[in-house]
Amino acid sequence: MRTLVFIPAWNEEASVAGVIADVRKAIPEADLLVVDDGSTDATAERAREAGAIVASLPFNQGLGAALQTGYLYALRNDYEACAHLDADGQHPAEEVARLLAEVTADRADLVIGSRYHSGAVAESGDYKPTFSRRIGISVFRFFLTLATRQRFTDTTSGMRAANRRVMSLFSWHYSPDFAEIESLQLAVRQGLRVEELPVRMLERAGGSSFLTPLRSAFFIFKGLVVLLVGQFRPRHAEAER
Amino acid sequence: MSLVFAAETGQVHLTSQTRIVAAVLALFFMFLILELIRRDRLQERYSVIWFVAGLGMLVGAAFPGTLEVVANLMGVRNTNVALFSIVLLLLLGLALNFSVIMSRQAAQITRLAQERAIEKALAEVRQDEAQTSLGKDAGSRSSSATSATEDAA
Repeated sequence: MRTLVFIPAWNEEASVAGVIADVRKAIPEADLLVVDDGSTDATAERAREAGAIVASLPFNQGLGAALQTGYLYALRNDYEACAHLDADGQHPAEEVARLLAEVTADRADLVIGSRYHSGAVAESGDYKPTFSRRIGISVFRFFLTLATRQRFTDTTSGMRAANRRVMSLFSWHYSPDFAEIESLQLAVRQGLRVEELPVRMLERAGGSSFLTPLRSAFFIFKGLVVLLVGQFRPRHAEAER
Repeated sequence: MSLVFAAETGQVHLTSQTRIVAAVLALFFMFLILELIRRDRLQERYSVIWFVAGLGMLVGAAFPGTLEVVANLMGVRNTNVALFSIVLLLLLGLALNFSVIMSRQAAQITRLAQERAIEKALAEVRQDEAQTSLGKDAGSRSSSATSATEDAA
């Protein structure tokens, strides 16, 4: 089965090579694509040196557009399964391999790696959310569950695996602002099988989260508007099962 | 018709001087739009609404009575309030129209950037493949050539 693993990266020159090496070791059969989202540092060069294919967006477009580029690349080049993970080293590649196994076994169309799933084991050095983040998480969890009538624990996870049906859907529409949450809603509304798998995630290697209380509040408000609008969005004909 | 032409009667108080100034401004506005289209600075599809606005200004200047008729239709006593409401609504509609156009163009730009990134990535992959196969061809001829190509690659 032809598999693509893609990594959206924006100014991640310090960590991207390590992530690529990690994926190579855990999923040796997969092709590797780094979607360089208009980085101004040496992200593209580091990725190329590490042996990945690099698709460079000419200017920074945001995570949603970068992820969509990956899905579009996978769709165009006839990959049967694809997965993506963050470039900052938070996502261990062996967990991505587990997500991919679910897709290749055709148990689900879209598999999300969840940090907060009850089955996820916490170890020292593992990811622990801050207080303001926990509030945001539970708000989104509540409303997404309300919108989709399916239980989701990790709505903003950037570690996912998908098959061609999802590639087709996400290439057609992927919210540039609220990529993670709206895409889940869209996939469920489309009647796709979306599944969560408990995974381990690591603490960020460097840098801090961009969230301040005011930003968090705005983020949550924007997310709710996106979810509300998403409930009335028309369905995509091609990805219909 | 007498009501429509009668600028000095009723609630509309326009002197002939203001009417001339308004008419000249409206004509200048429409001329400006035509000129912008002619010089390819404004596309026809975005100019229709502006042309309609110019025509409205001209009609208002020539027949101030129409404003009163419109105000009566809206149920507004004060014609000034009616005028400002109409202009405000028109501008609001225009601003929304621009947001729609902007969103469409943002989506188009994103897709263009994605297509270009994918094309370039595929071209790189093909180039790498060509280089690898070149290296293999050279290797079948002589082993020293292989290491030379690899060094070059």
